[in-house]
Amino acid sequence: MRTTPPRFAVRTLIVTLATVAFVLSAALLVAAISVRDRVRAGVVDKLETGQHLLAALEERRGQELRAQVATLAENPTLKAALDTYQTELHTSGGAGRQDLVATIARELNKLAARIDADVLAVADESGTVLAVAGRRGDEWSSRRAAGGSDVALVTVPTGVFRVTSVPMMLQGTELGTLELATALDDRYARELADLSGARVLIVSGGAVIASTLGSATMLALTPAVIHALPGLDVVTLDGEEYAVRSLLEQRAAQVFVLDSIDASARPAVQAALQTMGLIALGAFALAVLASLWLARTIARPIDTLSRSLSVMTQSRDWDHPVPPGGDSLEVETLTSAFNTMMQAVKAAEAETLNAYLGTIRALAVALDARDPYTAGHSERVSAISVAIGRDLSLDEGQLEVLRLGALLHDIGKIGISDHVLMKSGPLTPAEYEMIKQHPGVGARILRSVAFLEPHIPIVELHHERPDGRGYPHGLHGHDIPVLARIVHVADAFDAMTSARAYRAALPMSDAMRELWRCAGSQFDAEVVQALTRTLPRLEREAPAGARGEAAMRLVRA
Amino acid sequence: MPRRRVRLVTISCAGVPFRAAAGAIAAAALVLASVPVRARADAATGTIAGVVRLVARGDTPLRSGAYPSRRVNRPAPRPSEIANVVVYVKDAPAAADLPVTRAAIAQRDESFVPRVAAITRGSVIEFPNFDPFFHDVFSLSRGATFDLGRFPKGDKRERTFTRAGIVKVYCHIHSEMSATILVFDHRLFTMPAADGTFTIDDVPAGTYAVTAWHERIGGTSRTVTVEPGGRAQVEFSLPVVADDTEP
Repeated sequence: MRTTPPRFAVRTLIVTLATVAFVLSAALLVAAISVRDRVRAGVVDKLETGQHLLAALEERRGQELRAQVATLAENPTLKAALDTYQTELHTSGGAGRQDLVATIARELNKLAARIDADVLAVADESGTVLAVAGRRGDEWSSRRAAGGSDVALVTVPTGVFRVTSVPMMLQGTELGTLELATALDDRYARELADLSGARVLIVSGGAVIASTLGSATMLALTPAVIHALPGLDVVTLDGEEYAVRSLLEQRAAQVFVLDSIDASARPAVQAALQTMGLIALGAFALAVLASLWLARTIARPIDTLSRSLSVMTQSRDWDHPVPPGGDSLEVETLTSAFNTMMQAVKAAEAETLNAYLGTIRALAVALDARDPYTAGHSERVSAISVAIGRDLSLDEGQLEVLRLGALLHDIGKIGISDHVLMKSGPLTPAEYEMIKQHPGVGARILRSVAFLEPHIPIVELHHERPDGRGYPHGLHGHDIPVLARIVHVADAFDAMTSARAYRAALPMSDAMRELWRCAGSQFDAEVVQALTRTLPRLEREAPAGARGEAAMRLVRA
Repeated sequence: MPRRRVRLVTISCAGVPFRAAAGAIAAAALVLASVPVRARADAATGTIAGVVRLVARGDTPLRSGAYPSRRVNRPAPRPSEIANVVVYVKDAPAAADLPVTRAAIAQRDESFVPRVAAITRGSVIEFPNFDPFFHDVFSLSRGATFDLGRFPKGDKRERTFTRAGIVKVYCHIHSEMSATILVFDHRLFTMPAADGTFTIDDVPAGTYAVTAWHERIGGTSRTVTVEPGGRAQVEFSLPVVADDTEP
């Protein structure tokens, strides 16, 4: 079973929206990717800048630390105690050393508390740590100072420290070393993170010792990843991409800064997608409107055309051409092509009709020609009937039906044998019955041709009488169609005014008199009256003797 | 010069015997001379004479505090460094009748001048301030732990050193200032002349370790044998690091 195809508007809507959706999603995808790429480059750049900046800051911080420690190393008591300690050690074998070490420790504690140091330590010339102070001083006891002035990362069992050491000098002699150590712990990582605006990861010996990363991210930091970190630019942890840069790389520990590319890209991508989404919405709305308008523009003329066509088909009115409406050349062309075609159809139809009429006329003429007395009878009856009809103000359609019906009114006589039809003597009742069958036979013949349908009543009922004594049905008065009544009168009139084998032709006046005598009973009075009125004109146009020809002319006209 | 034999009380401390004289006698013997005075001539004594030379130390480079990467070669010591040298007979027996002297270590240009002083036990050292700001003198040494407090220009403080040993003094205000006072309980010590030569007289005959002490490198010893009436020669070469803090 064939389903109804969708409306034109639906089709254009679907095609337009699909196209717009495809283009927009491609644009969205490209935009998202390009935004992400740009942000990634930006993040990497930012981190690189941050790396340089932090390196410079660290350098400066190191110098400041050295300056701070150098200042601390100038503490007079500390220096005096250390110097005295060493002198005593050399001269008196170290007696009273404990007091001096206690003095050093006391001073150191004060200093450490003042600067909130993780570890502050004093070592002698040989590097032996004499005293340690500070929050995490306990972890320092086992260490030997490296001496000299430097910043270095130092690993002790409990952690990694960033050590700034400065020699303690007295009059050009090195007394020992003062060390300030900062633990590389979470606090330090947080400080660095605040400075750099990125995540910080501190690694020592392949293990993380401090970080500002989330715990889920930390889980992704397997030893293999940590091992590979120094060589990486970008690392993926827990599904997030991080740009990574090394901030400090020493044997004891490495400090990395990480910045999530995804986290930075997300707002930018979101903003871009939002803008694109708005544009997409607008584009969709526009596309819908445009496609609907387009569909209307195309479909409306077609609609109009098909509607007028269907009206035309229903009313079978082919005479008025379809108005050339519509805004497009194609529809115009279609309309005019249709009109041309309809004209051709109309011409062909007229031609067919003419061919039919010719055939029917030939049939009637052939019928009349069987009997020399009735030659031209059908055509004359047709002409007289039309004249009467015109007098009764029938419309053109009815006159046309009348003309053809009158021409065919005796077609049923085909089925009557020649000896009955042309018998000069009176008819036997059986023969009369045979004659009375000719209207029914005629009607049967006409029924087989569709376009002769309107003429059937004329053929079938042209022997009915107003008083009901006619045949074949015995209808009364106005039950008989007016066309049949007209043909009845015209038939009788022509029969009376024509010669027969058994009598001469009656003059018209006699015939009229006879008609008037039977008006109201055998003939319809109105019709007889109309004939009376129209007779002079008939006579004028057809003088006696040439009436048949005149009638023929009338019919032809 | 008073010459008086005093009764000595011998006490022992940290395994090193020394003798302390009674305070009254020490006070009576107070003189202002800075040179040790020979107390008694003895036929069984000799002299130790010699010279101290200061030489440059080229083995280790100097470490700088401000720039860890920069190391400079050590320059030759100034000749004036000889003033920071004391030559003494090590392990000399404590003398009973020590002369008591009064010496001065001035505070000038943020520095103790001289930076090294050698005195007999019981002697007094004055610390006059010549700088237009306050100074302080303190010591953490076992032999004399003290703090003389702050005092302005023109003022001075003093301290009597009653125990033999090395006493280091510092200024609480200026951490670069330091001085060393060697306190002996005998007279067998001296400070070399500007050319480095020195003489220690009245050394009882015998074999001794003679030490040349410098404030930054400590003591360097040589063994000498002193004949009665003889003159033992000894020579020192001290590898002294130049002190760039000294003007």
